[in-house]
Amino acid sequence: MSRARTALRRGGAAPLFEERFLEAFSNADGPSGWEAPVRAKVVEAVRDAVDSLEVDAMGSLVARIAPAGGRARRGPHVMLCAHMDEVGFMVTAVEKDGRLRIRKVGGIDPRILMGQVFRVGTKGIRGVAGVLPAHLLSNNDMSKVVPIEELFLDIGASSRNEALQAVSLGDLVAFDTTYESWGSVRKGKAFDDRVGCAVLASLVQKRPPVPVTAVWAVQEEIGLRGAAAAARRVSPDLAIVLEGTASGEAPGASEGESQPRMGGGPTITIQDRSLMADARLTELLQKTAKARKIPTQWKRPGVGGTDAGRIALSGAGVPAAVVSVACRYIHAPAAYLDIRDPRRVVELVWHTLEALGKEWA
Amino acid sequence: MPRSNNKSTRRSGQADWSTDEWLRHLTALPGVAGHEHALVPEIEAAFRLFADKVERDRMGNVLGWIHGSGPSPRPRALLAAHLDRIGFLVSRIERGGFIRVVPVGGFDPRTLPGKEVVVHSKQPMVAIFGTKPPHLQKKGESEKVIPIEDLYLDTGYPEAVVKRRVPIGTLVMLRQPPVGLLKSRLAAPGMDNRSGIAVLVRTLQALRDRRPAWDVIAVGTVEEEDGQICLGARTSAEALRPEIGIAIDVSHGDMPGTREGDTVPLGGGPSICMGANIHPGVFDGLRSSARALGFPYSVEVTPASSGTDAMDIQIASVGVATGVLGIPCRYMHTGVEVVAPSDVDHCAALLSHYLVGLEPQWRATEVLK
Amino acid sequence: MTPKARRATRANPLDALLNSLVPAYGPPGRETGVRAALRGALRGMGPVSEDALGNLHLHRPGRGPRLLLVAAMDAPGVIVTRLESNGTARIDLLGGRSAAELIGAMVVFPDGGRALVAYDRPSNGKDAAGPEAGTLYLVTGLDKNAAAKRFPVGSVGMAESRLDRLGDQWRSPSLDNRAGAAAVVAALERTPKSAYDLHVVFAAQSELGSRGALTGAFGVDPELAIVVELAHVGDGKDQSSVTLGEGPCVGLKEHGYIAHPRGLDLARKAAKAARVPIQYLVRDEGSTDAGAVRRSGAGVPTVLIAIPARKTGGPDSLVHARDLERTVDLVARLLVTPPAPEPTPRKRTPRRGGAR
Repeated sequence: MSRARTALRRGGAAPLFEERFLEAFSNADGPSGWEAPVRAKVVEAVRDAVDSLEVDAMGSLVARIAPAGGRARRGPHVMLCAHMDEVGFMVTAVEKDGRLRIRKVGGIDPRILMGQVFRVGTKGIRGVAGVLPAHLLSNNDMSKVVPIEELFLDIGASSRNEALQAVSLGDLVAFDTTYESWGSVRKGKAFDDRVGCAVLASLVQKRPPVPVTAVWAVQEEIGLRGAAAAARRVSPDLAIVLEGTASGEAPGASEGESQPRMGGGPTITIQDRSLMADARLTELLQKTAKARKIPTQWKRPGVGGTDAGRIALSGAGVPAAVVSVACRYIHAPAAYLDIRDPRRVVELVWHTLEALGKEWA
Repeated sequence: MPRSNNKSTRRSGQADWSTDEWLRHLTALPGVAGHEHALVPEIEAAFRLFADKVERDRMGNVLGWIHGSGPSPRPRALLAAHLDRIGFLVSRIERGGFIRVVPVGGFDPRTLPGKEVVVHSKQPMVAIFGTKPPHLQKKGESEKVIPIEDLYLDTGYPEAVVKRRVPIGTLVMLRQPPVGLLKSRLAAPGMDNRSGIAVLVRTLQALRDRRPAWDVIAVGTVEEEDGQICLGARTSAEALRPEIGIAIDVSHGDMPGTREGDTVPLGGGPSICMGANIHPGVFDGLRSSARALGFPYSVEVTPASSGTDAMDIQIASVGVATGVLGIPCRYMHTGVEVVAPSDVDHCAALLSHYLVGLEPQWRATEVLK
Repeated sequence: MTPKARRATRANPLDALLNSLVPAYGPPGRETGVRAALRGALRGMGPVSEDALGNLHLHRPGRGPRLLLVAAMDAPGVIVTRLESNGTARIDLLGGRSAAELIGAMVVFPDGGRALVAYDRPSNGKDAAGPEAGTLYLVTGLDKNAAAKRFPVGSVGMAESRLDRLGDQWRSPSLDNRAGAAAVVAALERTPKSAYDLHVVFAAQSELGSRGALTGAFGVDPELAIVVELAHVGDGKDQSSVTLGEGPCVGLKEHGYIAHPRGLDLARKAAKAARVPIQYLVRDEGSTDAGAVRRSGAGVPTVLIAIPARKTGGPDSLVHARDLERTVDLVARLLVTPPAPEPTPRKRTPRRGGAR
């Protein structure tokens, strides 16, 4: 039998994970509420591959893709979701002397901000979070963490007028990080959840085995907001959320505490603060991974929350699951991931969709 | 119980009231989250002066409709201002006739000791938040803020009378008549958010004369102040499915001790909010209207949450394009909230200009393919 | 059913229901045991179905407004978060119990496995505020490999919930909300005909923030809703005036919930007609399925009927038997009491949820 016919019988190979998507999405800036620059990159990546593409009232991108085999092929309507926003900041005031005041959008540890470099606005004007040098401070002051309300950005301007030539009130502010790679390690900004966005953009490059609506959602980091409205619009039978999640490795961590690991394969959620993952769907993911010899790991139960929590509670309820890439240092200026993991996630999700198509009566 | 409403002058000439009169009237009406039904007839009457249709929905929201002039099916713009003020409910009667209350909405407990309230039982009574005189206090006690659960109300009546006349769950409101300050400024409890209701009334008035293409529904929403969500905003947006939803609520007015960007100037006109809760197209439209009118306005940056009904409107149903207009208000959540009537007028003028200018074919969803 | 059991059931159907529901396995998200027990109890009452989140729906069609009756069926549970090298399993809490209340409880798992909740007091004595959730663990009595097989990461268990009678009080860890669910079933048994098009939802995942109640209510889209729950009163922080033995509570206010005038009116009418003494619940905390139901969809006029309960500091809750019986009386009467007509009626059709 020809290889093509065998492939057809098997249902077709999964699409490949496209690293160029990850690089483009990670380098783009988009704190919650300001996702437009990221959305533009996603549109570029998927426009030709999908059947329809819309931006909803909150700014989420919604794409529909009919399954391979057209009407002959049935199956549950699956919503695949990743969020475009990152934790970041907004310019809330410009002082008389040209310094910028910022407020955070999403959960950020204030200790990582002092002395950090940022990009402001769509033009990417550089600003530094200045701090008083050590020799001008008392010992007492040195041990205090500066709260965000006290921080300011120096973009080099000496007056409010000068500053407003370059930036505006309300401009987005993001960490000034550039994507890099070495070995199987990838370093970049906002892997939570640009890796999910890239996995999703890769998945839709081929017609899936079941009807899929792909949603690149907004405002996850400030309360899982975009997915709630998007799920009502889509009204799916099932949902799988694709995320970047915190890995457990740290010096002194025990074996159990180090889970999930970077490079340990797709991380599957059983339960987090927002969701009891649907038991059947989660079981199917596990079974599929085993059959395809994809290593998987469990996300530590009881930690964090995702859009899946909101999607599960939308309308009259949706069975939902979460598959993540374990990353180090999420919610920090630069995160790490293992490039093999997003490849495995694409494969796992694709073949799970296949299994869903077969199971559906 | 002292009486202070002047029913006789109310109905006649209410359509010609000044903003100051509206504010005095609206802030005096009792009604906390979940107990807005007492004030609803007054709000309905106010809306009825100018709206094409007035109705009440099942959760208690009051809706005033302006039917648009555009062709059917017409898109809808929802304007939301919450009806509830912060107040209390009686939770327990203690020995001696002292009344314990739970707050409905966020109160600043520092401002309560010694204040007068009205207990809205069948025969309303005046009561005071009791305090210890200084010579009976322990050392250092006067430096600690008394939390609400340790406060109590005293009507002066004996326990038997109180138990008979005040059932569990009775509504209790702060008793503070409006105070006129310099420059026409007004201090009263309940400017949050009866000043927003005043904006709705004034906007309905303007739209009746200059009809927009869109349907506009002014909604006095219930339960913004209490609980985890703005119930009335969420449920009315779910039922009406508007394209645009604009919340009108008070913003922190300038006060000493605040940082640049944290407040908006009193008398500086309405604030137009920008941030994750605001649709960029709606923000641009509101700002264009402000510029076209030449009125004073400020831009208020609200990065993640606007803290208003718009938070719940935005994610209702399939999502709504939202905007927020702020009325500068000093000393929020106290009995002396200060508002400038000119800010209310400018807010209403801005809002009606924006609504009249809405294109009939504008939609919140953008189709790319 | 044996003849003896049948006699017992006839003698006191509520007791039989409690015995069947209270011990049934059913932590949040894994309500398998209690769902099966409820299916048995509801047999013959009408079409029963399960929705996307695991709620159990019963529909008793009828003329009259669409009424939703909600009682949660899950009980607080635990989930294994990681396994240590010595075979102990670290756990996290699923639902409303505090860590302190679980110390010493036996936890049961669906395959029959059992383990004991333990806690090591810190050497510096700095646990005056009580143990933090992450410090509890399960003693399995097995070595690391056997423990990993029997209680792998993600296993979900529930406190062993024997039902006990102590004088005039019922005692068990899962009275919240199996007592409420039992009261609802008993009321249904007593009222084959109601004044409503009746939808009953036994809600899942209530302990995790009223998740099932929210989606279940959306799917039904009722005109009016009654939620039957337990309300724990009488401890140090309690601001309410409710006591055990004085009758069921009508909830006026809790965190995120305020009684709707229509529901309140109906409850008062029914209580008067059934001669059931009621108490009023006003407090700043608590938060029940009533809050979720009332904000679902375009909003639902809702009233909370709460059975007064007491905590003991350990896993058990206490409920006065008479309060429970009176709750059944009240709910049964509510079902046959038509409400005052709605000011602005609206025609809506029930909506169904995702795949199951």
